[in-house]
Amino acid sequence: MQFLAYILRQTGKNLRQTWGTQVMTLLTVTLSVLLFAFFFLIYTNMLRASARLGDDVRLIVYLDQEVAEQMRPGLEKKIRDFGPVEKIVFVSRTEAFARLSAQLGKEKDVLNDLGPDFLPPSIEVYPLKTLNDLTKISQFSDFLLTLPHAAKVQSGSDWLRRFGYFTNLLRAVVLLSGGLLIISMTFIVSYTLRLTVLSRQGELEILRLLGATSAYIRLPLLLEGMLQGFLGSSLGLAALYFLYQYIASRFSGPGFLKLFDFAFFPPELTASILLAGIVLCTVGSLFSIRRFIRI
Amino acid sequence: MPRDASTDKPLVELVNVTKIYPPDVVAVEDVSLRIYKGEILFLTGMSGAGKTTLIKLICCLETPTRGLIEVAGRDLSRISSAGIQRMRQKIGVAYQDFRLLDKQTVLQNIAMAMEVTYTSTKVIRARVDELLALLNLSDKRDKLAGELSRGEQQRVALARAAANGPSLLLADEPTGNLDPTATELVINLFRHLNEKNGSTIVVATHDPSIYADTEHRVMALNKGQLSAHPNRSPRQIELFEA
Ligand SMILES: Nc1ncnc2c1ncn2[C@@H]1O[C@H](COP(=O)(O)OP(=O)(O)OP(=O)(O)O)[C@@H](O)[C@H]1O
Ligand SMILES: [Mg+2]
Repeated sequence: MQFLAYILRQTGKNLRQTWGTQVMTLLTVTLSVLLFAFFFLIYTNMLRASARLGDDVRLIVYLDQEVAEQMRPGLEKKIRDFGPVEKIVFVSRTEAFARLSAQLGKEKDVLNDLGPDFLPPSIEVYPLKTLNDLTKISQFSDFLLTLPHAAKVQSGSDWLRRFGYFTNLLRAVVLLSGGLLIISMTFIVSYTLRLTVLSRQGELEILRLLGATSAYIRLPLLLEGMLQGFLGSSLGLAALYFLYQYIASRFSGPGFLKLFDFAFFPPELTASILLAGIVLCTVGSLFSIRRFIRI
Repeated sequence: MPRDASTDKPLVELVNVTKIYPPDVVAVEDVSLRIYKGEILFLTGMSGAGKTTLIKLICCLETPTRGLIEVAGRDLSRISSAGIQRMRQKIGVAYQDFRLLDKQTVLQNIAMAMEVTYTSTKVIRARVDELLALLNLSDKRDKLAGELSRGEQQRVALARAAANGPSLLLADEPTGNLDPTATELVINLFRHLNEKNGSTIVVATHDPSIYADTEHRVMALNKGQLSAHPNRSPRQIELFEA
């Protein structure tokens, strides 16, 4: 008990002695966490969105001629030989027409003048979910174009490709801000702690003479780093949360956020970011302790 | 406190200890010395004789160039740094240069010694007040150490060394800046610690007035070499050789 009281009191003393720098450090840690978490939040939402879009990936091969029933198994085998496919649906002219009129519902009168032949027959290929790589999708779509009577392949891959570029770019930004986070936290915290150590150097020397154990001297410094990590990360995450709330309330209704089903981090991820912040700052303080205190 | 030199294991034992400061300053030369539990020992010698060096060797602030030092049966050259810290909690040292924190109060300075052993604040308060009363410093408790006179600082350093009721108290020139009245207080503090607490006390000094008519052992250092003090009775020389 007494032990804990001393460690805490000493930590408080340290913070007070260099409070100006401590506040600057806290702000730096907060900003780094905010920056990183901001990009990371967008990134995770993009990933979820693209996963959802990926679910809908299907390749439609429009044909200029109906495929006869007996030809289908051979064609299906040919496609399956090329790549992993979840299912293949053959759509005849009549089926396509039926679908469209079902989709139009009450408006289906507009089709009255058109015969059931005006829609082309098609093969709908649903690749396995593992096929999420854009180059593979376009390879697949190139292959499908070589099938007999294939007139056109629609894969929506153009749009997916742009989305993919953006996700990649965002990933780079996340990595960059993550790196910045690591650097700023460990270095800034270790620098601040160096100031604490320097401001207390005379005292530490005397403590050593009086027989202070290494726990007595080091734990307050370690605690200082931990505290910086905890407060900085909490503030950063809280700031992001309020920003998110603000934007969500401002742009409520059908819009960007709704389209992407934009959501805040789940609790586990929030806790992980907080924990990572604490760990990084603690590591930073360990650097200083190892470098400047020899006991 | 009476002792039995023949059976007791000494609290501090130095065997052929030599300390040479680089490059070639021989501060302590081939010193062998046993200090027994409960003893008061005076270490005399001219300036530069090696008194401070000897004290620093015993509290591990310096390491001997040659020879063996044991404190409480433990070889200091084989003790871990954690072990040294634990040992220092039981050894009170009043340094010749005091080593106080000028920007902290007298209370804070003395309390530090007890805080490192996780003593409760209440006990620390009571102990500090007791020590300051013994050394006639009660009115200085909340003054900054840097604002005290040399003589007052000296007594604060002593109070800090005595705070934990150490088993071994090393006092380096404890009366150098004191008038006879204050010197008397310090001697009384030593006696008090020795009798009430069983503390072993080593006093390095060149002030003959404090060891002139003592019944305790007096050793002289001369250019790093140790011998029984020339003025001492044969009984004390015999004790030294035991
Ligand atoms: N850190 C050091 N480096 C080099 N030489 C030193 C060091 N400390 C002490 N000496 C030398 O060792 C010798 C003994 O010094 P020491 O301080 O032990 O003497 P002392 O008996 O305590 O003297 P005083 O009564 O003046 O305090 C002196 O010649 C001194 O110059
Ligand atoms: Mg000296």
